[in-house]
Amino acid sequence: MKITTLALRSVVRNWHRTLVTTLAMAFACTIMITYGALMKGMVVGSEQQVVVMNQGDIQIHARGYRDDPDIYSTMADSEALLAEIRAQGFHATGRRFGFGLVASEGNSSGVQLRGTDLLYEPQVTEIHSHIMSGQWLDQNAPFGVVIGKKLARLLDAKVGSELVYIGQSADGYMANEIFTVRGILKAVATTIDSSSVLLPKQTLIEMLALPEGAHEIVVMRADRSAISLDAATRQIAALAPDYETLNWRELMPVIARFLETADVQTLIMLIFTYIAVASVVLNAILMSVFERIHQFGIMKAIGVTPAQSVALIYAEAMIQTLLASLLGLGFGWWASSHFQAHGIDMSHIAGDLSFAGIALDPVWYAYITPDVLINPIIFLFVVAALAAVYPAIKVARIRAIDAIHYQ
Amino acid sequence: MQQTSSAKWLSILALAPFLVLPPAATADGETPKRASEILRSVDDLWRGNASHAITTMRVKTRHYTRTMRLEGWSKGKEQTLFRVLEPKRERGTVTLKSGNHIYTYLPKTDRKIRLTSGMMMGSWMGSHLTNDDLVKEARLEDDYIARISFEGVRDGQNIIEFTLIPKPEAAVVWGKVILVVLADSSTPLSEQFYDEDMQLVRTFSFTDMKLLAGRMRPAVMRVVPVDKPEEFTEFIYEKLELDIEISDHFFSVSNLKRR
Repeated sequence: MKITTLALRSVVRNWHRTLVTTLAMAFACTIMITYGALMKGMVVGSEQQVVVMNQGDIQIHARGYRDDPDIYSTMADSEALLAEIRAQGFHATGRRFGFGLVASEGNSSGVQLRGTDLLYEPQVTEIHSHIMSGQWLDQNAPFGVVIGKKLARLLDAKVGSELVYIGQSADGYMANEIFTVRGILKAVATTIDSSSVLLPKQTLIEMLALPEGAHEIVVMRADRSAISLDAATRQIAALAPDYETLNWRELMPVIARFLETADVQTLIMLIFTYIAVASVVLNAILMSVFERIHQFGIMKAIGVTPAQSVALIYAEAMIQTLLASLLGLGFGWWASSHFQAHGIDMSHIAGDLSFAGIALDPVWYAYITPDVLINPIIFLFVVAALAAVYPAIKVARIRAIDAIHYQ
Repeated sequence: MQQTSSAKWLSILALAPFLVLPPAATADGETPKRASEILRSVDDLWRGNASHAITTMRVKTRHYTRTMRLEGWSKGKEQTLFRVLEPKRERGTVTLKSGNHIYTYLPKTDRKIRLTSGMMMGSWMGSHLTNDDLVKEARLEDDYIARISFEGVRDGQNIIEFTLIPKPEAAVVWGKVILVVLADSSTPLSEQFYDEDMQLVRTFSFTDMKLLAGRMRPAVMRVVPVDKPEEFTEFIYEKLELDIEISDHFFSVSNLKRR
């Protein structure tokens, strides 16, 4: 018996039903591919935002500094430590911090000053290229600063605006200085956006009479695929036994957990969507079975076995699923590519998006991986196969005499 | 709002004797009226319409020791102004307290800045007092209920000890304040600040009686944080004038630069 030919004939003969069922499956497949790509985009984008813009892979601090960021809690031997870390093939930079008040013409705000190593910071993070307006720091402009976007808004500061800083230096004196805004950052993280003033490290050291050493060392793997984050953390921790060495997952456990579970979220979404699809497929196949009860009765009467009947039902279901998956793949890939290139601008809907203190890019980009394309299709075949079980059993168990007399 | 009454003492010693002991500290307890009267007399010791003072502030921390000479003026409870006389590096820096706001004038940058609420708990001039201490100094009378918790001879001195408990509706962080004064002259000897868990946080002590503005007054106030007993901030009174003539314009923001 030519199952495939029969199945094709049946599918074409009932083209209305085929069209509706196939389009429903294709639509669900398209949605799931696009959704998966967007979720993947959010994960990749968030990790990018967390690690590449600010945190780096690994950070080193003096013990207790993170709980109490005292300006005296430096790592006095940080330069030697940085040299050792770089010698082991990592990118690394030191950061120094200070606090105080920055005032513009009309407003003022408490700020965190970040003394930035202009040579090494660009090797570790990409914050230097994350400028919304103006320019990155320059050694030749020691009092030119880059500030967070919310801080700029709060101070009503623009590129070229003058800001007055007042704070306390490490030797107990009042420190004050006039800065010029060189650049304003795009959204990075809540704390950076609303309170960070980045300036050349030497300016900060001299202005606040800071003690020897950096407050924070940020390390980035030169090749992220060559060594795992945990192995790199162990390697760096061995170099700095007196200090606290933590990777970004340990520093930001909420974000790390969220990103780890993003795949599970996609899977759950996939299951719920496909349960709806399964009901459509089940309904369509059942209808096609009931409409053809007489046909199945006659087939049984002329010697078609139950197994062949089941094979026929499955063949019909798989033909439709194949068509649907091709359509779904085509449309899903196209939509995902579009969102990968152009993104979805959420700024009009949600303004500044942030999650657990990390600013999310208001333009939501998709990210296509083989998994994102293949998983929804595999799921679709599985769901269609499951949905066909009941109609197939029904057909297999049909008795020729009952079917022929079926009203 | 934490450092409420420290500012009071800051005012008393460094700036403006008239500012403030809890003149109207509402008394309560077994001898409410008497407590209130004594507190009033303590307050009267320092009260004036306006004052002018020169003090030396010495700050010792684990990381630095520094000395500043300050000149201060005050009028009423709401207006206080300090100018740094020394060191040269900070000479001309002005702090103005006007109502609930604090302004700073910085000669180096020739700018005046109003401190935001976020800066209020920051150290004032590197000392163990905060900006908030300056702002909240006049609130004690409104925020605390006073009662006499001890009266008699202690360490050879006839003293009265007051326990100040915040009123239920008062927005203060201190759990209680214990003030000890000499019984005969109502001269303050010490003031202890407890947090809401009734743990002692810092101690103010008043020593070195000296003739100031025609009366004997303690010329040295020392603030010692309990968690860092080796650290302190000390105000040493050099000169005090009370009831001087001074205009409100003197304390205006627009006038800051001219100080």
